[in-house]
Amino acid sequence: MMGAGTNWPGTSLKALLLFVASLTLSAAQWTPASAALQIRVDQGVTEPIPIAIPDFIGAAQGREIAGVVRADLERSGLFRALNPASFIEKVSDINVPPRFGDWRTIQAQGLVTGQTVAQPDGRLRVEFRLWDIFGETQMVGLQYSTTPENWRRIAHLVSDAIYERITGEKGYFDTRIVFIAESGPKLMRRKRLAVMDQDGANPVFLTQGDYLVLTPRFNPSAQMIAYMSYIQNRPRVYLFDLETGRQEVLGNFPNMTFSPRFSPDGKSVVMALESNGNSDIYLMDLATRSTKRLTNDPGIDTAPSFSPDGKQITFESSRGGSQQVYVMNADGTNVHRISFGAGKNGTPVWSPRGDLIAFTKITESEFGIGVMRPDGSSERLLTHGWQDEGPTWAPNGRVIMYTRTLPAGAGGVGGGSQIWSIDITGRNERRVLSPGDASDPAWSPLIQ
Amino acid sequence: MFKRSIIASAVMHVGIIVAATVAWPHAIDLSEDSPPVVPVDLVTVADVTNIAPTVEEQKPAPPPEQPPQPQVEAPPPPPPQAEVAPIEPDQKPPPPPKQVEETPKPPANPVVPRPKPQKEAPPPKFDVNDVLALLDKNRPKPAPQANAKVAETTQKGFGDQTALTIDVRDALLAQMRECWNVPVGAPNPEQLIVQVRVFLAPDGSLAQPPLLEPASRAAAASNPYMRTAAEAALRAINVCEPYKQLPPERYAAWREIVMTFDPSKMIGR
Repeated sequence: MMGAGTNWPGTSLKALLLFVASLTLSAAQWTPASAALQIRVDQGVTEPIPIAIPDFIGAAQGREIAGVVRADLERSGLFRALNPASFIEKVSDINVPPRFGDWRTIQAQGLVTGQTVAQPDGRLRVEFRLWDIFGETQMVGLQYSTTPENWRRIAHLVSDAIYERITGEKGYFDTRIVFIAESGPKLMRRKRLAVMDQDGANPVFLTQGDYLVLTPRFNPSAQMIAYMSYIQNRPRVYLFDLETGRQEVLGNFPNMTFSPRFSPDGKSVVMALESNGNSDIYLMDLATRSTKRLTNDPGIDTAPSFSPDGKQITFESSRGGSQQVYVMNADGTNVHRISFGAGKNGTPVWSPRGDLIAFTKITESEFGIGVMRPDGSSERLLTHGWQDEGPTWAPNGRVIMYTRTLPAGAGGVGGGSQIWSIDITGRNERRVLSPGDASDPAWSPLIQ
Repeated sequence: MFKRSIIASAVMHVGIIVAATVAWPHAIDLSEDSPPVVPVDLVTVADVTNIAPTVEEQKPAPPPEQPPQPQVEAPPPPPPQAEVAPIEPDQKPPPPPKQVEETPKPPANPVVPRPKPQKEAPPPKFDVNDVLALLDKNRPKPAPQANAKVAETTQKGFGDQTALTIDVRDALLAQMRECWNVPVGAPNPEQLIVQVRVFLAPDGSLAQPPLLEPASRAAAASNPYMRTAAEAALRAINVCEPYKQLPPERYAAWREIVMTFDPSKMIGR
């Protein structure tokens, strides 16, 4: 083609043209062939992930621990524990990788294998591994040791580790709930302060029900509870130390104090104080017991709750004419209303994750639990009930518990109150087991 | 003579001007009454297009001489044999054993070393169509029409769709919709967009494990929510295998796919 060129410049031009042409051609050929097909998947499902959790190997509570882990994960709504009867492989050694094909056959996407070993010193060692069935890799492997009677906590810790590895979010299974246990006839209702594990196990009554108790709240170490009680008919905020069982009144105010909540660092309590028919929000330093008034308005200000960074407080106020949700700086400045949706809105609680505020929405026909962003945008109503109220957050900000009061039937029969939970996506609404009627739950942080 | 012609010229000019003043208004009226302009695009049609016609299942297809059936390829070769190593090289070592209470850690606990999982060839997947095919051997396989021109390359069509791949895309989207379990509970889920490169074999199975695109891989390494989103996307691709709905004759169009998983439309649903 290029021939023995005597006409050098012409050949050169021809060669250049050919070269450019061939480049263009090859680009035309190669670009489409090597370009991958692009697709955008924007629709999917939201279904629980199928996970296989065989009983842990080992005589010591292996079966019970696996049972608690299955129940924890299932209750989260994000997992579906497969029926052990469907398992093909019988796990006999957790240090050997499982036969992934066998687990794929039964549609498992995750597998948890574990064993319990009784140690010579009497303690119990629990080991587990979480396997990714498609990736054929171990996702996490941990071991814990404890006294044998503590096996339920170990099971919750295993659940937390699995949940965290798969969702990218801390779990909330090794937590407790403080609540008001209710019993007796309607006119002689006995209300006792009680705590239980988040799955309803190990309920303990902290008070005997001789006087009314309301609005219990955990401190950040989950060792202390602030609550309101009518001891000697004086409604005041008290502190209850779970370790010692000791309780003390928080400050000696002449008037009613109520709706307490700890600051994120646990060093102070924010609460409402009533005076001459008006209530405002005060902050008390727990070390010095000094108080600072944060709001000063003729409207009723109550139900304060700190943002997780401690810089802001959300509360409800009637200052605008009806009960609505407000946010202010932690020093009481920059008060602004954030709820503008229908009806009245109250009992705001800031998510531990910081991204949402949960609240009770009150319309003419019902009370429901909603969430919105701290600037008041993206309001969503999660529950509808005759009376759903008083939200409290799981420590990971994914789940909300609340009180559901049922209407009494004819003649005042039936009714009562229960604790329910729902995911912030609005899915997985379910009742939380409690001994008898229960109300006003507050979720603890993860137990340290 | 010269003068006369000037006069004639002037008369004719005047005549033209008069005629114009009489005619112009009508012309303007006409333009006002005229119907709205209909824009017309002139599209040059190439002599040869490579837009393959949709292959419809036709009456008894000609004897299936040698229809380009999907080739059943052997499953991807098994990965190298298991080596006894604590973990895969690209994985972080497992977290050290945790103690709930302050117990001295058992030294070098047997839990930590773990053999690398030995990969097995995936078990044959159950597919009703396979069984049906066995039962009904006489059923003619859909053969390409005699004149069906099979495209070998993708070519940009109108809009952002690629003319050749619209139905491939639809088939893939319909399938992925059933398999993708969307991680909607994370904060700001609309930001958890993951891109995965998928390599398919002619039989619709995964020719090799799907790969996160570099940006998604980096995000997943630093952000646990992104890791969760990335794992959900990879799970979806695995769960959906095999991709049976894709036209085998257009394998070139779907051999390699970049799937973008965008959860923004799934929030609050």
